Amino acid sequence: MSINIVQAIILGLFASLSSMPGLGGTSIGNYTLGRPLVGGLICGIVLGDIPTGILVGCAMQVVYIALVTPGGTVSADVRAVSYIGIPLAMIALKSYGLDPASAEGTALATSFGTMVGTIGTVLFYGTATMNLVWQHMGWAWVDKREYDKLPLVDYVFPWISHICFSLIPTVAMCMAGEPVVNLIKEKLPMDGIPMKTLFTVGALLPCVGIAILLKQIVRNVLDFIPYLFGFTLAASMGINLVASTVVAGLFAILIFKLKMLELRKPAAASSSAAADNGWDDDEEDI
Amino acid sequence: MAEKKLSKKALNSGFHRWYYGNLTCFSQEHMQTFGYLCSMLPLCKELYADDPDRMAESMDTYRTFFNTEPQLGAIIVGVTAGLEEARANGAEDVDSETINGLRAGLMGPIAGIGDSLVVGTVIPILLGIAMGMSGGGSPMGAIFYIIVWNLFAYFGMRFLYFKGYDMGTKAVEFLVGDIGNAIREAVTTLGGIVIGAVSASWISVKTSFALYNEAGEAYMVLQEKFDSVFPGMLTAIFVIFCWWLMAKKQLSPLKVMGLLVVIAFVGVLIGFFNPGLAY
Repeated sequence: MSINIVQAIILGLFASLSSMPGLGGTSIGNYTLGRPLVGGLICGIVLGDIPTGILVGCAMQVVYIALVTPGGTVSADVRAVSYIGIPLAMIALKSYGLDPASAEGTALATSFGTMVGTIGTVLFYGTATMNLVWQHMGWAWVDKREYDKLPLVDYVFPWISHICFSLIPTVAMCMAGEPVVNLIKEKLPMDGIPMKTLFTVGALLPCVGIAILLKQIVRNVLDFIPYLFGFTLAASMGINLVASTVVAGLFAILIFKLKMLELRKPAAASSSAAADNGWDDDEEDI
Repeated sequence: MAEKKLSKKALNSGFHRWYYGNLTCFSQEHMQTFGYLCSMLPLCKELYADDPDRMAESMDTYRTFFNTEPQLGAIIVGVTAGLEEARANGAEDVDSETINGLRAGLMGPIAGIGDSLVVGTVIPILLGIAMGMSGGGSPMGAIFYIIVWNLFAYFGMRFLYFKGYDMGTKAVEFLVGDIGNAIREAVTTLGGIVIGAVSASWISVKTSFALYNEAGEAYMVLQEKFDSVFPGMLTAIFVIFCWWLMAKKQLSPLKVMGLLVVIAFVGVLIGFFNPGLAY
């Protein structure tokens, strides 16, 4: 599998649209096109192998399932993960002849993608810094009350930032990817320590993604129980993800009703105190 | 003077500009400020069409730094649209200071709720379900995610924006109030369970460590022992270990990743990990 210039440019355009800050906007760009699962579909379509694209996308999605960027501090860049990492991982899988659905295939894809994603943070800082130029022009226009020019700053000029820091790097890295992958394959045998480490890291990395998410929802040790409950559903009971969500939904409804009951309790107590023996009357009615 | 009322067209334009442009011209220095400015532009133009000085005063208000979670933040933009309309009608208690005080006061809490609810829970749940539909490389899951998330985001943001415009700060009280809390707690539990299932289905940390007797037969395969205690135990241990490093030891995700590389390397050297591949 190789990537030609037209394919690389299409991937570069998607890289410009996705990510934070992306030109597709936050909802469509960052949270749709930037997600590795969607990136996997698009790379699969562009490179002509949808199943491999999706499977590589899924593998990478676990690592970046909770990519929150509080205050703009990033530890990875989704445009690099989705539109440089996934195509390169697809090439690597084909080159090594690994099944993308196997644990080894997933591990290799994850290692490649995460490496690229981490390096990709450079692209984030590059775009954000170049945008300062447009914003500087924008403030000057605000001072001069030329408000009609403001949309240029928000919607048009950032394209220049993205051509420099999304399109060109994506095209360059996708085109250079194949020889690099082949070089690694030649120099590092799969049963050597470096490649064994690479595969092992690939299996361990998704734990970080999940842990970032848990950091958001676990306040005390008891909060681990829902997580471990879900883990048990899938690992011990073999229930699939869609079915697990249904089970989880039932618990969510129960918790919501309990919480609402808790809120109503003080109100109910005061009203029953006002009415003479209100509780007893209710019981007799039933 | 007739009461000024924002037209549906201007409000729609303001909303769409926020929906699309909240972060398109992001920089570390101003973050969402320009997105906000551009979103208020059609509204201010309509309200102050005949008064360039008041227009300038109003636009200057939105020069102040702004950053929040953009989806949930639509409610703040909606609230200020309502406030700007009140200011145009001469409400005495609404000036640049009150508007900016409100923006500054709301952007923190809304960012906190939005990051944990939208980015940290709703999106992972949708992705989890979508990954469950992607078995064998099927595009079903990705298509499901694209459709469901975008409908949710567009109509959710629209709802919040117009609720904010109609109800002002009362709309925000719903989000941070008791019912909002109950919904969040329920959704968080849902998210926790789904993420547990995602971990068990998509992460596989396994050890190759075994002890052999003199005949060369393995009499103690560690992975089997782990699985007999709790299937997938090693995966769960590693996830909780990473959580502990980040939540309790305050390590950054990048440092944790680096540490995992070291653990993997040492593990391979002592034979704890072995992917068992060869050409």
